[in-house]
Amino acid sequence: MPNQQRHPDGHIGSLVISALFVIMGIIALYDTTGYSDRDSQVFPRTVAILMILTAGVSLITRFLHPQESGGFGTGTWWRRVLLIVAMFAGCLAIPHIGFLASGVISFAGGLIAAMHDRWTPITAVLYAGSGMAVMIAFFALFRYVLHVPLP
Amino acid sequence: MEFGHFLSALTPFNLLLALFGVVAGTIIGSIPGLTATMALAVLVPITFSMDPASALILLGAIYTGAIYGGAYAAILLNTPGTPSAIATTFDGYPMAKRGDGDLAVALACFGSVVGGLVGAFSLLLLAPPLSKVALAFGPIEYFWLSIFGLSLIASLSTSNLMKGLAGGAFGMLLSTVGVAEVSADIRLTFGSQMLVGGFGVIGALIGLYCIPVLIDLVATPDRHLKMEEDVRSVRIGEAFRIATRSKFNLIRSSVIGTLIGILPGAGGSVAGLVAYSEVKRTGKPDQKFGEGEPDGILATESANNATVGGGFIPTLVLGIPGTPPDAIVLGALLVQGVRTGPTMFSQSGSIVFTFIYGLLIATVLMLPAGLLIGRYAYKSIVNIPKAVLVPTVGFMTIIGTFSIRNSVTDVILMLGLGVFGWIVARFGFAASPIVLGLILGPIAEQGFVQGWTIGSATGNLFGMFFGRPISQGIIAFTLITLFLPLYTARRRRKKAREQT
Repeated sequence: MPNQQRHPDGHIGSLVISALFVIMGIIALYDTTGYSDRDSQVFPRTVAILMILTAGVSLITRFLHPQESGGFGTGTWWRRVLLIVAMFAGCLAIPHIGFLASGVISFAGGLIAAMHDRWTPITAVLYAGSGMAVMIAFFALFRYVLHVPLP
Repeated sequence: MEFGHFLSALTPFNLLLALFGVVAGTIIGSIPGLTATMALAVLVPITFSMDPASALILLGAIYTGAIYGGAYAAILLNTPGTPSAIATTFDGYPMAKRGDGDLAVALACFGSVVGGLVGAFSLLLLAPPLSKVALAFGPIEYFWLSIFGLSLIASLSTSNLMKGLAGGAFGMLLSTVGVAEVSADIRLTFGSQMLVGGFGVIGALIGLYCIPVLIDLVATPDRHLKMEEDVRSVRIGEAFRIATRSKFNLIRSSVIGTLIGILPGAGGSVAGLVAYSEVKRTGKPDQKFGEGEPDGILATESANNATVGGGFIPTLVLGIPGTPPDAIVLGALLVQGVRTGPTMFSQSGSIVFTFIYGLLIATVLMLPAGLLIGRYAYKSIVNIPKAVLVPTVGFMTIIGTFSIRNSVTDVILMLGLGVFGWIVARFGFAASPIVLGLILGPIAEQGFVQGWTIGSATGNLFGMFFGRPISQGIIAFTLITLFLPLYTARRRRKKAREQT
């Protein structure tokens, strides 16, 4: 469970997310109208209604009784974004450049994002080298021992 | 059940197999994405040249080791190594964050060993009568069991029940994405080919639990886990004292795990969640579940390891595999020419009893092996620099998710779900209810639709859902789980008012 921090964006964010859940429930409910069999409708329809009701109650409660809990809190945004972008970029590159090369993209992004100490030539070589060793070891384990067809 | 079978299990070769199986299973299970099923599937060919009892001992040891191994990643990285360890994250990771990861790992080991022993003894002594439990469970009982599991949302979302329920509903909707099992309708894909295969449970677990932790870790220079001045070895004595104090919790959770293990399709994840729900419901007021309560780890780990022995009961007695790993073991038995069924215990007694004793020995061996591996796992995770840990775990999440269905789409969905989970968690929609919905959704839907169809055909829909004795028992427990915390809180408030 994440720690809830007091932050001004908590109120608006909570309203937005609750509204998002309501909208997703309505879209799901609409989607169920296109199913050919009643058996495949009944469960998602029931669950979608439950989601609309509960998220709706949460939305109204938050609107009537604003609370400034929650929010994105402190921390460096560029690091978060870099990590996410690097991981997505690595995944999208898998079919084109293979698993190991795309793993280098994800790893390098994650390494830069998570490095809060000062870079020195020794740490750069050590961290990059240990990263490569770990990736090669896992690649070999999955591909040659577990026979996972890694591209 | 002769003493000779016990001696057969104690041959040096069988002991070596049991030890190898436990170690290999623990290591494989600790890697997010590698499940007990995969560990067994990969290693099953090496058993074909062995005699049936030795083959079964190896497979049983791998299985029980893998279920325990899932606890490492759950405690140290907030990522369940296997779905069975979902509820281990609830208290394991908070313990690790406050510097008690070594204690949590030791508790998980004690819990797993006790659960494994109870499951194996049940298999040894009570297999034929207990197998009837599996036959007593119809679709409606499965439906209510999944609802009972979902009632845990209420206790996980004490700060905001509505958000927890909305998250649970969202998880159940996610479980319906793709091709419907009942009628083959394509649901909630909105024309996207990516979504036709649906959300894989393992990928979703990794995404919802692990990616948010990585996003938070990179944002600040704080350490990933609190480190004591001197990194201690695993705190065996302290863990043993806590486990001894919680013996009732351990036994109850192990019995829950054994019984749920007997039910085909339920498995370790449901057992862990139900046992966690029970320990939380019956916990003392000063116990802070979800914030690093040792009893939470003991309950989950004993229950999920008890499902190993429990799952073998219908597999061996009825030829009905309770879980995917049981199905692999059943397949291996058929390759060996061993016929499962009610007569197996009399006709192939030497194989069955040697295997059960082997499983007991493997479970006991898990104690030293697990504590030793746990010690190194803990020290490694604590000492590794965050700059290396984050991209390494990131790479493991990608390769682990890919390996489930050899699909890049699954990896992209895992990442997308992870980022979504991180954002909504900032505003009170925690990941656990979503995961509960995702895991229990298919069980609930199948039971609900089958029950609805049978009830409609027989003209007794109400009786179908509410008239069966086992269903009534589960409904009663569900209601108690849902409303007891509210009643207790109200009583406490009233008492406080009276005192002032």
